[in-house]
Amino acid sequence: MNHTPGVGTKVLNQANLDFGDGTLVLDQWSAQAVCRIFGNGIWKWDGRTHSWRANAFHYPTIKKVLETNSYGTLDRVPQWQPIVWSSIRLPELRPEQTAAVNAWSDTRRGVVVMPTGTGKTEVALKIMADQACSTLIVAPIRDLMYQWHKRILNGLGYDAGIIGDNTFNVKPVSVTTFDSACIHMPKLGNRFQLLVFDECHHLPGPIRSDAARMSIAPMRLGLTATLERGDGRHTLLDELIGPLVYRLEISQVRGSSLAEFDIFRVPVFLNVRERVRYDQLAEVVSSYVYERRQDDPSFTWRALCAETQHSGQAGVVMRAYREKKSIEDRAEEKLRVVEDLFRLHHGTPMIIFAGSNAMARDVSRRFLIPCLLNHCGKAERIDYLDGLRDGVYPAIVANQVLDEGVDLPEVKIAVVIGGLASTRQAKQRLGRILRRRGNERAILYEVVAKDTNENGRSRQRRKSDAYAGTRNRNV
Amino acid sequence: MLTRELAIATFENGQLVPDRLSRKANAAYLGFADDMLEIYRKGVGRTRRSLHQAIHGVFSEQIDTPGRRIHAFCKLLDDVSEYAKEDRRKTVQLRQAVFREAAKYHPLVVQRDALFESQETEVKRRIAAEHGMDWPELHDRLFADLIENQELQSFKGFDDGIALLSRYNVAQTQVVLFDAVKMTVRATDDFKQILRYAKLARLMHRITKRSDHFRFEFDGPASVLRSTHRYGIAMARFLPGLLSCRGWSMEATLRATPYRPPIRFRLDDACGLVSNVNASSDFDSSVEESFSIEWGEQAREGWRLERETEILHRGQTAFFPDFVFVHEDGKRAMLEIVGFWTPEYLSYKAQLLKLFSDQPVLLAIAQSLKEKMPVTTEHPAIYYKNKIKLEAVLAMLESFRTRDYLK
Repeated sequence: MNHTPGVGTKVLNQANLDFGDGTLVLDQWSAQAVCRIFGNGIWKWDGRTHSWRANAFHYPTIKKVLETNSYGTLDRVPQWQPIVWSSIRLPELRPEQTAAVNAWSDTRRGVVVMPTGTGKTEVALKIMADQACSTLIVAPIRDLMYQWHKRILNGLGYDAGIIGDNTFNVKPVSVTTFDSACIHMPKLGNRFQLLVFDECHHLPGPIRSDAARMSIAPMRLGLTATLERGDGRHTLLDELIGPLVYRLEISQVRGSSLAEFDIFRVPVFLNVRERVRYDQLAEVVSSYVYERRQDDPSFTWRALCAETQHSGQAGVVMRAYREKKSIEDRAEEKLRVVEDLFRLHHGTPMIIFAGSNAMARDVSRRFLIPCLLNHCGKAERIDYLDGLRDGVYPAIVANQVLDEGVDLPEVKIAVVIGGLASTRQAKQRLGRILRRRGNERAILYEVVAKDTNENGRSRQRRKSDAYAGTRNRNV
Repeated sequence: MLTRELAIATFENGQLVPDRLSRKANAAYLGFADDMLEIYRKGVGRTRRSLHQAIHGVFSEQIDTPGRRIHAFCKLLDDVSEYAKEDRRKTVQLRQAVFREAAKYHPLVVQRDALFESQETEVKRRIAAEHGMDWPELHDRLFADLIENQELQSFKGFDDGIALLSRYNVAQTQVVLFDAVKMTVRATDDFKQILRYAKLARLMHRITKRSDHFRFEFDGPASVLRSTHRYGIAMARFLPGLLSCRGWSMEATLRATPYRPPIRFRLDDACGLVSNVNASSDFDSSVEESFSIEWGEQAREGWRLERETEILHRGQTAFFPDFVFVHEDGKRAMLEIVGFWTPEYLSYKAQLLKLFSDQPVLLAIAQSLKEKMPVTTEHPAIYYKNKIKLEAVLAMLESFRTRDYLK
């Protein structure tokens, strides 16, 4: 039974087109027929199930071929439906948002790049309102998933299903996370006509991209502020979502759609105890790397990471490196600077971005302000975010949780006390405070441990166009 | 199972060798393993953090022990432990109360002055007192719901140090399979059991009968379209089952990673890895498992459930029904459960069953698939919702027998 199907069938049987396990399945037709109708490439013979199989995202192409020729096929694939929105309450779009909606609507497939704070969500909601079809929103993390749920409820009057965070409630319009989408798409791939990928630069990735590959949705919208990935994988988005249809640069909207902003860099010094320990650890790391480079000039950091699997000594070096980073990250002086900034901006809501959970908790315990970490439950997060808005809490501290997407329109002052070198994280964090409200200026402080690697990371971050013109300030 | 971050493997002569502790080369580990078990056995009431610190302590003199190995032991021990679920609500409420209270004094400053008079330690002392504790206690309680603060409630453990080391060795081999895009098993014995474990791990198979063995190819639905390690976790889940079988050799194709090129990984039944499969914990609870457990060892109305399943051939095609029943009068019948497969698999299954239409196969079809499963006139079917009812199966078996259908 493991042979390819017979060739030479004169009359085509009616074929069944089905969706199974995140793929399309076609039976009854001979290799010759499939090849004649579709050419090579889309369909592959699966001897295990005795049927033809194709990637689900080819559905629109396949459908078009079958429709333009009147072959007898029974299409049992789509399980979607038109949506009637009970009440649409969307704000009037700004010109650049309208331009984005129009650009996407020409092809109904593609990526829209807009800086954080310029209303990507509103663009997506308008598109959803226009298309009125079964839609799945895919967001990077749970907070954002809930935020989308709320925005859809407020804007379109629809109580969307939630897939993820231990919930599996599938509705014609649902919200989910990238990870859940990838896990469940084999079951859900034929239920949605429109996919919206929020922060879609997260999509490429060998398994994660199944969230797009295993879906038949003919309409796809990708949203991001930062399209380009360090690994160059963003080029895959063309296949997974569609071409870049609209791009708005941060410099185009600074001061108009986005708040005007200033960035200040505040250097701090390690205290004597920290400095002595830091230098000791730095010595451990650099002498090891130096020695290894004597043997092997191409010795890299990555090789050291691999060596820690087997070598206890490499492990010691790695631990030294981590402790060193932790000293930069948790330098005591940073807490003093934070206190000074709290004094300076007393009465204004503030957000502190920490480089690690441990530092976030240090700040939380020092000032008794809420600490938003990824283990916070939904209710707790909402209490903190709403509380910050309503003035119940004067400030909150977060690690990466708040890097992307969570709206904090009232916050105009952010303090970054640790983090990555990536310009993407820098842009995203800056974006949290840039949503325009009146004519308030936004201020971002970067607190950096001097004479440490953190300095280098800060310099790296400033390569982002948005960070141009950073000023140094001693508080 | 372990996570990718805990994997240790080396290249030796072009082969990938997962970390393995042997009684000869790593004799000291038997002692370490016993010490580790002792820590967990006596550790009820201790926090996860303190247990992990104690495990690290076991290796404090062992400068050459990689940190990952110690973390891996912690993970494996935690996998068979139960930790008290801290009353999260209470901790969250405490936090919110404290932060709300403190908001009135914001910012808490080290040195009071004319503008800001909320001195940090003083405010903290006052707030702690309102909750009936001192600040150091409140400091600890504030984040008591963190996973590392959970307390050990019970340890179901490993029988002895050897069992822990065996589990470690298998676990390191399992992680290797996370990168597997395909697995081929050559089986001379126990092939039915092997296939059964593969099915339980939700792998799809291709079977070829060779003169003296079966060749199974395992992967998943999308594997025909692209090389994907999406099903690698299923293969890792399948491994303990495979290790408990006899007469096999296995070759897995691993994808390239940033650290190495694509590579083949081989194992066979003489590899020395030992695994005690516990079907109920290693696999998702399945209809099949609960059916066989409910049936039990005894004969029911003269029918007995066979441990080993039947194997049916037509040329290259093999069919392994899920269960075989033998009546005391010697007649045999089979049961095939159609539960989790997908439409195209169902139509394949229907075709396959047609091939074996002369065999007494009873079908148990999930109610949810009733519409989708192509009708087969050859085999009678019963439908089930959550579990297969014994009475329904027995009634069908009896009607098989009385119709004198069985040879």
